[in-house]
Amino acid sequence: MDFSSTVASQLNAGVILPEGLVIITLMVVLVGDIILGRNASRQLSYVAIAGLLGSVVALYFQWDNSQTIGFLGGFNGDNLSIVFRGTIVLSTAFTILMSIRYIQQSGTALAEFVSILLTATLGAMFLCGANDLVMIFLSLETLSISSYLLTGYTKRDPRSNEAALKYLLIGAASSAIFLYGVSLLYGLSGGEIRLDAIAAQLTDLSSGQSLGVAIALVFAIAGIAFKISAVPFHQWTPDVYEGSPTPVVAFLSVGSKAAGFALAIRLLVTVFGQVTPEWQFIFTALAVLSMILGNVVALAQTSMKRMLAYSSIAQAGFVMIGLVAGSDDGYASMVFYLFIYLFMNLGAFTCVILFSLRTGTDQIAEYSGLYQKDPLLTLALSICLLSLGGIPPLAGFFGKIYLFWVGWQAGLYGLVLLGLVTSVVSIYYYIRVVKMMVVKEPHEMSDTVKNYPPIRWNLPGMRPLQVGLVLSLVATTLAGILSNPLFNLANSSISNSSVFQTASTPVILSESIINRQSLSE
Amino acid sequence: MLSAFILLPVLGAILISLVPNTNPNQNRPRIIALLFGGVILLWNVILGFQFDPSQTAMQFTEYIPWISWLGFNYHLGLDGLSLPLLFLNSFLTLIAIYSSNVNIQRPRFYYALILLLSTGVAGAFLAQDLLLFFLFYELEIIPLYFLIAIWGGGRRTYAAMKFLIYTALSGILVLAAFLGLVWFSGASTFDYEPLREQVIPLGIQLWLLAALLVGLLIKIPIFPFHTWLPDAHVEASTPVSVLLAGVLLKLGTYGLLRFGVGLFFEAWITLAPWLATLAAISALYGAFAAIAQQDMKKVVAYSSIAHMAYVLLAASASTPLALTAAMFQMISHGLISALLFLLVGVVYKKTGTRDVNVLRGLLNPEKGLPIIGSLMILGVMASAGIPGMVGFIAEFLVFRAAFPIFPLQTLVCLVGTGLTAVYFLLMINKVFFGRLTESLSQLPQVDWGDRIPAIILALFIVILGLQPSWMVRWSETDATALVVSPSLLSQVAQAPDQALSLGDELSMNVLPSRSGNN
Repeated sequence: MDFSSTVASQLNAGVILPEGLVIITLMVVLVGDIILGRNASRQLSYVAIAGLLGSVVALYFQWDNSQTIGFLGGFNGDNLSIVFRGTIVLSTAFTILMSIRYIQQSGTALAEFVSILLTATLGAMFLCGANDLVMIFLSLETLSISSYLLTGYTKRDPRSNEAALKYLLIGAASSAIFLYGVSLLYGLSGGEIRLDAIAAQLTDLSSGQSLGVAIALVFAIAGIAFKISAVPFHQWTPDVYEGSPTPVVAFLSVGSKAAGFALAIRLLVTVFGQVTPEWQFIFTALAVLSMILGNVVALAQTSMKRMLAYSSIAQAGFVMIGLVAGSDDGYASMVFYLFIYLFMNLGAFTCVILFSLRTGTDQIAEYSGLYQKDPLLTLALSICLLSLGGIPPLAGFFGKIYLFWVGWQAGLYGLVLLGLVTSVVSIYYYIRVVKMMVVKEPHEMSDTVKNYPPIRWNLPGMRPLQVGLVLSLVATTLAGILSNPLFNLANSSISNSSVFQTASTPVILSESIINRQSLSE
Repeated sequence: MLSAFILLPVLGAILISLVPNTNPNQNRPRIIALLFGGVILLWNVILGFQFDPSQTAMQFTEYIPWISWLGFNYHLGLDGLSLPLLFLNSFLTLIAIYSSNVNIQRPRFYYALILLLSTGVAGAFLAQDLLLFFLFYELEIIPLYFLIAIWGGGRRTYAAMKFLIYTALSGILVLAAFLGLVWFSGASTFDYEPLREQVIPLGIQLWLLAALLVGLLIKIPIFPFHTWLPDAHVEASTPVSVLLAGVLLKLGTYGLLRFGVGLFFEAWITLAPWLATLAAISALYGAFAAIAQQDMKKVVAYSSIAHMAYVLLAASASTPLALTAAMFQMISHGLISALLFLLVGVVYKKTGTRDVNVLRGLLNPEKGLPIIGSLMILGVMASAGIPGMVGFIAEFLVFRAAFPIFPLQTLVCLVGTGLTAVYFLLMINKVFFGRLTESLSQLPQVDWGDRIPAIILALFIVILGLQPSWMVRWSETDATALVVSPSLLSQVAQAPDQALSLGDELSMNVLPSRSGNN
């Protein structure tokens, strides 16, 4: 770093402009809620969406910024972080769209919900760019604590309370473990907190450091795996997903997960570059377990939200293939998949919310015969689920092909084959829902669907849901066919990122592949 | 130009789904579907006239870069292997739409799905990019799943799910083989033509080919991967059965020729004896299983398994003549099985049963179904390989081409052909001859609408049987080009000392075609 420059340029505060916009929006929502009262809460959520979109615009203008390091190395706003922050902001905007009606119907305050959600978004965004240990931990905790609050937001629902408590206990434990791992890093590097400085200190692993680094690695991975709900750190997922308000689940499954993956890439590649074979081995195991357990257990679910919970575990398993591949293409495929996953998963959750708003249930069996009463919902949910299952020419197909192709190139034949086989399994449980909705004859219609209320989009808070539904439907259908720009975006976000300039040289990669092969033999 | 085969059906499907539900004219979806089916068929005929069969290169190619990072391009092309199958697809799609029940439930969804199915199949036949083929190969699964699951018989959900799982499994095996091929060959794209010159070690080739084969054999289907087919056929409605047997199964055999023979020729030759043996087993198995069936549709379904095995036999012989024979057998089976399924459908519609033990004397000229019965006899004769019909030419070509290379397996398959006559005669004898039972004597009238598609199919069967060169001329050149691969030729050129053995192989491959065609 250039120490002769002024303090202002060292701070380089402009790099967190998108976060700044989110903070301002948060303030506006908070203060506006106090001044205007409950009647204005719907308008305030539109303000929040506008602020988030403004933040996306700010992110767009920061693309390819030459000065990416801000706050004396505390924050790194490179292209990689921009892509992840963009994904998170978009997922929050979507979540607000779908939560307006849901939260109002549950009888709780909407503006508070939006402000907590914005805080969680802020934490997740900072996490994507965090470049030192303190920053990582602070933003991680901001995200986590807001998530606990959101999980328990519907206070009168005992299941929501149960979910919040479970999430809090397990989350706090995993934070503690993560913090312990981070503190080991601090000690081993001789008191460094910046990731690249730590990496520079950890070059020589022969002198007793290696055991410490290994323990730090395992502890850090435990924290990350909790965030991305990889098996065996997934136990909270089904219960939390089932109990919490559905928009929160949507955010947790996309926004929070994206932040977890961003943290994984940055921490593992920068700090643990020396022990790449080890962490790749651990993530191979996590990916294998996640794909198998997520897909197999999802088969047996009767509740839509639980099924989507296990499916999100399985999807995280697929994404980990890109992480294990460890090449630039691998990270790009993760970015691409997460971006596509944003639309299809949030689309699916929008449909689930819409259905439960109209009928009050989320049992899969209750969906039977829905096509007769609500064709749009049936179409959107079918498209999103089929896309999650990787059926061409929907977006998910392209995402999966890219992940598998990259995995194959990195020599992860077993992992890719497992991914292929488990995606067949996943088609089975996704199509089961589609079958319920589309195939069932009128006389097999469930009672819920028989009493389906007439479709009225003009109720307060329904328009945003409709917008979200149509947007995700269009995006899921077309993002695959028109995916070349997205591919370019994902790839350039990786190739222009400073993280990979030093750490992941091809030599390490090829060594890691050899090592892994010798391990598996 | 070729994109029309992909875009037109999609456009038609969208138009159909836009027809308002409250429209009093419930026939409108059907009319739109017929219109689009007709236009596609017409377009196909026009293309057929412009097609130059003497060229080996792909014609009418279209190339649009799609996803550059994957090396995945939208690349279509037409050659002598795809043109007849493309025609079969357009033709049978129109027939399936026409012969669908006029008062079918949920007509908009039904006709839209049939058109989407047509898109998937046409796209797979036209794709010149491995991933594009896979995309269309998978695309066809979901429409067909719904077509079986919604408009099928009693156990339709089970049959549809079984179909879905088998086909999805087949798809990922094909994908794994493609990924492996491109990775090991070091190619930068999934484009078909450049990959034909790959030089991968034989051991890896064998693995890749094995994955591809299992995937495609499920689709064809060949014993022991066949169990989904009888279920799917029995539960599917008549038009869907026609499409399933007529074109969907051809995706598997087309894949064998295009990708198995075309991309892995060396490994293919190594595995060929085993494939021929498998074909023989499958032919016998299909024939014996067909003898045991009581349901007319199951008889035809098992006969499909037996007849598709001849395609595998011919493909495993992999001489130019044999590949032409394989193409001919595909078309012949497509026409014949479509005809048989149509007729079984008419019988079922009129009598309410397909049980061969219940039906009797349907050929009765006054109260029975004489014209349907006569067409059935014609179809059965064609299937059993009676001279003068397309089945005879196809089977003769197959056996003529395969016999010099796999004599034993060919003889076993010949026995299978003999058994075709047995099971079909058993069926015909029970169903159409004898006295018409009292319970069946009040059959509703068969109107011409039910007969016309069957008569058209029967005409094709007879015409191609009398004039086989009209069919052979399309595929001959390309079948030769497929076997005499560029790498083989270049090997001969580069290593003159080995040219003797390779030259032998070449002449063995090429000569039978000359003798066969003279």
